[in-house]
Amino acid sequence: MSWLYDWWISLAQALGLPEAFQYPFVARGVVAILMLAPLLGGLSHLVVARRLAFFSTTLGQAALTGLVIGVATGQALDDTYTAILAFCLLVGVVMVYVRRQTTLPPDTVIGVFMAFTLGLGICLLVAATRRFNIHQIEAVMFGSVLTITDHDLVLVMVLGAALGIVVAFAYNMLLTDSLSPSVARARGAPTTAIDYGFVVIVTIAITVSLKIIGALLVEAMIVVPAAAARNLAHSTRSYLVWSIVLAAVAGLAGLFISTAWRVPTGGAIVLALSVCFFISLPIGRWLRR
Amino acid sequence: MSGGNAIELTRVTVRRDRRVVVDDASLAIAAGSIHVLIGPNGAGKSTLLSTVLGETAFEGDVRMHFRGAGTVAYVPQSFVADRTLPITIAEFLSLSRQRWPVCFGITRASKRRVAALLEQLGMTGMERRRMGELSGGELRRVLIGNAIEPAPEVLLCDEPATGLDPAAVEQLDRLLCELRDTHGTTVLMVSHDRAQVRRVADQVTLMQVRIRQTGTADAVLDQAELA
Repeated sequence: MSWLYDWWISLAQALGLPEAFQYPFVARGVVAILMLAPLLGGLSHLVVARRLAFFSTTLGQAALTGLVIGVATGQALDDTYTAILAFCLLVGVVMVYVRRQTTLPPDTVIGVFMAFTLGLGICLLVAATRRFNIHQIEAVMFGSVLTITDHDLVLVMVLGAALGIVVAFAYNMLLTDSLSPSVARARGAPTTAIDYGFVVIVTIAITVSLKIIGALLVEAMIVVPAAAARNLAHSTRSYLVWSIVLAAVAGLAGLFISTAWRVPTGGAIVLALSVCFFISLPIGRWLRR
Repeated sequence: MSGGNAIELTRVTVRRDRRVVVDDASLAIAAGSIHVLIGPNGAGKSTLLSTVLGETAFEGDVRMHFRGAGTVAYVPQSFVADRTLPITIAEFLSLSRQRWPVCFGITRASKRRVAALLEQLGMTGMERRRMGELSGGELRRVLIGNAIEPAPEVLLCDEPATGLDPAAVEQLDRLLCELRDTHGTTVLMVSHDRAQVRRVADQVTLMQVRIRQTGTADAVLDQAELA
């Protein structure tokens, strides 16, 4: 990975950026953002089209519970990916199952799971603080470039590429199913597999992003780019491009704000994303005049 | 019209919240025919259609007999997609006409097919219009176009004439008859439009939770009017 860091450091020097932006941990953060933007930005427009925006909030809270379960079962505090991924996958799959079995609106079912994961997480967290200092999990909850390792970046790169290929392969079916499951089913699309499969893809994408953006704020990275892009886009193609560009721009802006003013990276990225959204509102109105 | 049945329903019962919405329905739809389901609201027509589509749990037996690739197309009664979703007509129609992800662009072959299809629908040059900007009638024409090209073996339509002006309904009728006559497509359709039913139907089934009568359009409609 060192060539990527060297590339950023030489670019930062060429752009005349302050020395703080040339530190190795900032270089790692930049590389991570540039990897996450296509993944989360690319998924975001499908998440919004499938009305799963609320679901990513549930996963963020499930990640907290997964983290505590991981620590309680003996995993190292800085290596709880397995427990977080397992618990989030369990919550996602059970939620889709329940949603398919009931006539309740999807947001009501997601709300029930959100309440459940939050309640369980808080109870377990209080029990777990007897074993470790609660401040140690701040990095996972709020994200921090300081905690990104080469291992994390390789994970993001490999899983991001794999998920990207799967989504690209199934994209047309996924979007048809998002627009009308009946039309997709008639066309022979495996709508049940799509329903479960997409939730698994989103869960994996969110889990690998936790260290950078944080569990509580990861939902913003998967919802706000699409919300802002929708104001600017006139087609599916431009929707995808805008979602990725806004995720990348806001991610880098948040990283620089975080480095310059020493605020949590996740919070800074979400603030930058929110600014993008509010700027996109009047631009969108102007474009549609 | 070719021989044999394309769709066979045997003693199909559908329950929703313990209420029977389709009761003991047995029906045979001849291959290469247009079969129309009629009846009052709540008679179970759309439910029967979604049962054939495989969307609704049921008791009994539903069989489809295909002669070719087994392609099925569906024109839904309502299309509740988010109207702010930025998807153009060309992109929507290309979703089922190309393997290349539509978000990366529309292939040349797909562009040609979409242009020809829109011309057939009387919507020439509307490729770049967003789906969310379409009127109810225009949206329905796009949904019909999406279902009829390439010609499916079985076409399921849930009140396809809703929101269409008289000229568009006549155009729809011509398209349905052309599918049947040229491609041997079997059409199972729900309709409230009696004039349309008389124009296109080979067989008509009157439903009222149970199947009341099946026969020619004139026989069933005359009986229904008398009742």
